[in-house]
Amino acid sequence: MSDSHDSPDFLQYLIRLFYMVGGVLVAGTLITVLIDVMFHMPLPLAAIIGLAIALVKAGFVVAIFMHYKWDKKLLMITGTMILTFLFFAGMMGLIMWTEGDAPKLGRAEVSVFWAAAAALLGLALPASFTVLTIKLMSQPAPVEAPAPKAKRAVKKKKS
Amino acid sequence: MEIPYTVKPRPDTGLYNGKLGIWLFLASEVMLFGALFSSYVLLRVGAESGTWSMGLMNITVGAGNTMVLIASSMFVVLAWAELKQGNLAGYKKWKWATIACAVLFLVVKWSYEWPQKFKHYDVWLNDAAVVHDSFEKGYRKTALRPTDEAPKGVSVKEHVEGFYTTRYFKEQSDGSDGSKAQFKKAWDSGTLALSGHINGYEEAVINVQVGEWNADAGVTQDEAKEAITAAGGEADQALDGGTQVLKELDYDAAKRAEYALGQAGFKVTLSVARYEKVEAHPWFWRTPRVNEDIGGKPRVQSIILALDHSDDGEGHYEEIEIETRHISRLSAYEPKHSTFFGIYYTITGLHAAHVLGGIIVMLYNMLPIGLAVWHKDRERFTNRIETFGLFWHFVDLVWIFLFPILYIL
Repeated sequence: MSDSHDSPDFLQYLIRLFYMVGGVLVAGTLITVLIDVMFHMPLPLAAIIGLAIALVKAGFVVAIFMHYKWDKKLLMITGTMILTFLFFAGMMGLIMWTEGDAPKLGRAEVSVFWAAAAALLGLALPASFTVLTIKLMSQPAPVEAPAPKAKRAVKKKKS
Repeated sequence: MEIPYTVKPRPDTGLYNGKLGIWLFLASEVMLFGALFSSYVLLRVGAESGTWSMGLMNITVGAGNTMVLIASSMFVVLAWAELKQGNLAGYKKWKWATIACAVLFLVVKWSYEWPQKFKHYDVWLNDAAVVHDSFEKGYRKTALRPTDEAPKGVSVKEHVEGFYTTRYFKEQSDGSDGSKAQFKKAWDSGTLALSGHINGYEEAVINVQVGEWNADAGVTQDEAKEAITAAGGEADQALDGGTQVLKELDYDAAKRAEYALGQAGFKVTLSVARYEKVEAHPWFWRTPRVNEDIGGKPRVQSIILALDHSDDGEGHYEEIEIETRHISRLSAYEPKHSTFFGIYYTITGLHAAHVLGGIIVMLYNMLPIGLAVWHKDRERFTNRIETFGLFWHFVDLVWIFLFPILYIL
């Protein structure tokens, strides 16, 4: 974390954020379970919804708990993570390719309706959560009333 | 030589070295778990419908454990925030909370979730008629249980359908009736497995018939005498060419006697004297052991199975007796049970190992030896807790993905 983010005010703001993210994670888990219990969905749809929620939860953990959002985003971390992601995506891609290549013996095809519903939800869920995330994170840090802008301008060392 | 430790971020990487190190470590962890996740996905999409034992997981317990891990993840970052404010007491408070959560997670997993699976059995029968008969016996009472308003129930088949469509036929790729169609297919062909606890079994009590002694077997008379006396027989009678029966031994004793006497040159045959009911829960039973042949008869004649989901309304489970000759396969939910349980134990086991490692590191950081760093160099200790936090969040992250894929999909 960079020096400008070491002020007590910012820490208080962070702590509030941590509680909020904890709440979001709990809510995400509850939603996952409720959706599963309440609706009997076809597998692809259930997979997309479940993994989309997991992805959003993961995003919150990385961005805020692991305070990636405030780290200096040099090639070191981001590059490493992008590389691992590519590795993972490649692996999954190969799997899907293998599976798609094999004839689906004895297994029913996914109907257009469910495929469309899955695609829609798969896009809408992460999109809405992303908007939420951005809103939450772009909330400015609280500043003292007397000198609002001074904190950012003067790089305060840790007290 | 002491390795110099830098607390300040390096200008070229923008991070202090420890943090860069932990991120690189986490990247390698992503690959490790990523490989397992990909394997899981490959196995999952490749599985025939009705073979993925999904609904066997207890979602409530899984979700509870997820909450526990989320809480611990939050506590660990709060502990760091306290250190950042120079408050060691606050750090200790949150850190103990984190450790408590982590321990609770492991306790639930290792003392409840895993052992429960070893206690449950799936029993496949080899004849559709017997399958249906067993369902009829086991579920009749539950199925016909009067509802609150009127004395009417559902048929056994409907009851079983409701149970199994949430278990094995959860996946439906062809609309809302998909799982029912799959259930009907399995019901008609009798390939549904009965599942429940084995409450007892009927095991053979064995007579060991000792026949003629073969003098050419390369064993001296004295050694043969000793062997038959040790097995509880009459030595003189045996060596004079007479036959005798060692009566009513249990399986292990009979097998030991058979081996020892066979080595001593006697002709030995085992036969079943009678069957005795054992009211005990067998651990790690496997089909070959159950179906073992003793003089043409099975070692275990029948098993007493308390079917899952057959509550008679008073909290009792109805027991049914199944003859072993009808059983084609029997297995607890151990790794051998299915591909799902194979990879389930691999992934959750690896994750649990990470949690355990985390607990050890956290305890170290609570001990005087770990806290000494705080008194020497506060910023260094704070950084140390931050890097540990990064690892701990990663462990939480893995579980965030594990929960839906293992418990729900």
